[in-house]
Amino acid sequence: MSTKIVIDPVTRVEGHLRVETTMDGNRVQSARCSGDMFRGLEKALKGYDARTAQQITQRVCGVCPYAHAETAALALEDAMGIRPEPNGQLLRNLTVGTYQIKDFLLHFYTLCALDFIDITAVLGYEGRDAGLQQVRGWVQQELANNKVFPAAPFLPRYEADYCTDQAANISAIKGYLDAIPIMADFHKMVAIFGGKSPHPVAIEAGGVTTPPTLDRIAHFRTLLATCAPFVREQYTQDVIAVAQAFPGYFREGRGYGNMLSYPYLPDANGDNFFFAGGVTIDGEYRALELDKITEDHTYAYYYDNSSPLLRPLQTDTLRPLSSVDFQAQQSRSDGKYSWGRAPRYDGLPMEVGPAARIINTYKSGTNSELNALVNRFNRQLDITIDDYASVMGRHLSRAILANLTLNHMERQLEMLQPGKPAFSEHPVPRNARGVGITEATRGSLSHYIETDSRGLIRNYEMIVPTTWNMSPRDGSGNQGPVEQMLQNTVVADAANPMELARIVRSTDPCIGCSVH
Amino acid sequence: MMQQEITRRSALKRIFAAIAATGAGSFITFDDLLAADANPRKAINVLWLHGSSCTGCTCSLLDIEKVPVVDILTRFAHMVFHHDLSLATGDQVTETIDKLLESEEPFVLVVEGSIPVRMPHTCMVAHRTMDSWMQRILPKAQACIAAGTCAAFGGVTQMEGMDTGSMGLLQYSYYRGITTPIITLPGCPMKPEHFVYSVLHYSTHGAPPPLDRYGRPRRFFGRTVHDRCVKYADFQENYFSRKIGEDGCLLRLGCQGMVTRSDCMITGYNNNTNVCLRAGHPCIGCSGENFPRRVMFHTYDDTRDIIPRRV
Ligand code: SF4
Ligand code: SF4
Repeated sequence: MSTKIVIDPVTRVEGHLRVETTMDGNRVQSARCSGDMFRGLEKALKGYDARTAQQITQRVCGVCPYAHAETAALALEDAMGIRPEPNGQLLRNLTVGTYQIKDFLLHFYTLCALDFIDITAVLGYEGRDAGLQQVRGWVQQELANNKVFPAAPFLPRYEADYCTDQAANISAIKGYLDAIPIMADFHKMVAIFGGKSPHPVAIEAGGVTTPPTLDRIAHFRTLLATCAPFVREQYTQDVIAVAQAFPGYFREGRGYGNMLSYPYLPDANGDNFFFAGGVTIDGEYRALELDKITEDHTYAYYYDNSSPLLRPLQTDTLRPLSSVDFQAQQSRSDGKYSWGRAPRYDGLPMEVGPAARIINTYKSGTNSELNALVNRFNRQLDITIDDYASVMGRHLSRAILANLTLNHMERQLEMLQPGKPAFSEHPVPRNARGVGITEATRGSLSHYIETDSRGLIRNYEMIVPTTWNMSPRDGSGNQGPVEQMLQNTVVADAANPMELARIVRSTDPCIGCSVH
Repeated sequence: MMQQEITRRSALKRIFAAIAATGAGSFITFDDLLAADANPRKAINVLWLHGSSCTGCTCSLLDIEKVPVVDILTRFAHMVFHHDLSLATGDQVTETIDKLLESEEPFVLVVEGSIPVRMPHTCMVAHRTMDSWMQRILPKAQACIAAGTCAAFGGVTQMEGMDTGSMGLLQYSYYRGITTPIITLPGCPMKPEHFVYSVLHYSTHGAPPPLDRYGRPRRFFGRTVHDRCVKYADFQENYFSRKIGEDGCLLRLGCQGMVTRSDCMITGYNNNTNVCLRAGHPCIGCSGENFPRRVMFHTYDDTRDIIPRRV
């Protein structure tokens, strides 16, 4: 007999996500992931000044706004036929790098760690750390006082096979607390050249409007030096400790294994990317062909269009379902079920994100620093490059990327040329088209822009990492990548489906981004 | 020791009462509140929900340095549920909310993001629309904090051209006839100091800090960005920047500081690390009632202006 498991809302992800699985005994037969929020920013942008796209599209996501700001600027620069000032390119690299490392900490500690680490281990803490003592005292008091919601927001939780190694638990709980001020420092680094964070204003087509003065560079360098040890030591060690405590998760949530990534972190001139773009399909790495991307909306809450397969900038013909039609779809067992559309590459669902970036760059052989680090971790954890497409592989990928990005930022910081501009102004192009691609924290991100005869936006489109990962089924019946990852997972206790939550969270879903 | 603390506490309480009576409540500083709340009897229950949002305000909250986040969670606010912090997931979330509403425990509701009303099915939690959740929860809250510009005024979710009919909390409560007091903390993202100050004020005084007609704490939103701008002297001398990177007031490059209220130029962002104008970029009006406008940044000779379209 088949039963269902529903997790709604999935917390500790960005936005409104519902996951529903049909079970065959204790094994997932099929899964459906629904992005449950729609705003409609792309269509609303029509008629706006082309330069507003950068400020508005970054507001699809407060967790990775800089990626959208940069991609919007890249799209407009493509339409202008220019490249940003070299200083501007470096400042963007430094700022996106900062943002991504901060996001990796947020994802690991704030959102995911406590799916593996036992927070109640703090009750047995006997050391002298003031923060841990404070939390221990508070949890004790909360539990003793018969509160209605004792120790919220840390309880209630799914009861599951948490880590039993006391030292690993305490280290990660301390990391949870210590990561918060470190993340605030990373945000300060974004603010130095972005104005503020989240939602930095200072990136525009042509570069970055904040010039790299000596004092700003010094401030940035000081903060980088303060934060770097936490990333290199504590964060990396905590990820390894969790990976060692849960080695089985290198085999869970594997999905299709098809990987897509865009070229990311160029040099000052916009060439020679630190991370390679490309695709890995059936284990084979190939060059990226952007025109293979289409979007399907068979199971997405939009009125059907003449063609189910739309190319970028054609999706503006889609209209969101009205309330009545939405309910009609919901009452059908094979109805539409997500606001997210289903992007496909050559018709295939693709996983994007840290694991894709690692696997594609590794296979491309373009970055020996990356390959050396990956090989080192592979020996330490007894895994291979193919194991990165898994729950634990994704966590490990983030730790590796954080270390590499730090090294790269330290090098690029010294290449800035104080006194030279970081921004040059160019007229907004009329009747032009442009595309911007880069890697956001959660994977491949592209923006497409088309301007009209007055330089206003005629059409705008974003294809966002979580749109790829969290996509619903397509017209050919292919499940979305995360749906595929969930399939065949064994759930020990249907009332506490932690196995599913761990798989979903390993992809760091961002529904605000995916549907926008 | 205990005796002393209590005396200090009650003394502070009397002082606050006197300050409030003279209508000068917006002068209570952050440190006053922290001192008064050093030994609270009961942390205020906070229920934090997301409407149509981007989670930027939550990310911003975690950046606070004035009060450590762990202190907020363990001493000042009892975070009954927060979408990005709670370990509770799935049914545990709806059970928690149900239990809170049934328990009659007092709580402050925080909403991040707006509420779509024309197309309520565009924002769902546990298969129910956010609109229906709000109709149930908002009347029971002691007060509601609208965190960020979307929750306060609609922000990007209510920009011209949107179909969803999203509303900020002030408009929403009026539309639904709900009279729960609303404290709006516009800012895209909300500044964490504004939030923690408001929560502390509420838990210390049982009432929000003095507010203006849009529900904004006057302490933070009494003046425009322009009033305190580092470039105000340039403005007065009609010395305008012609392009980015030049000295001078940024008005002719699209600056919206004149029509935007917030304390950005005093306390900056990210613990006063920087703020738009100090970074050399015009204010785009992110904490304003009319954010975002169709033009936010333009060239010196551009004749399009930034005067509000929807009031
Ligand atoms: S830059 Fe903007 S806020 Fe500053 S003085 Fe000029 S107009 Fe006012
Ligand atoms: S200066 Fe203007 S755009 Fe910048 S944070 Fe303040 S209100 Fe927002």
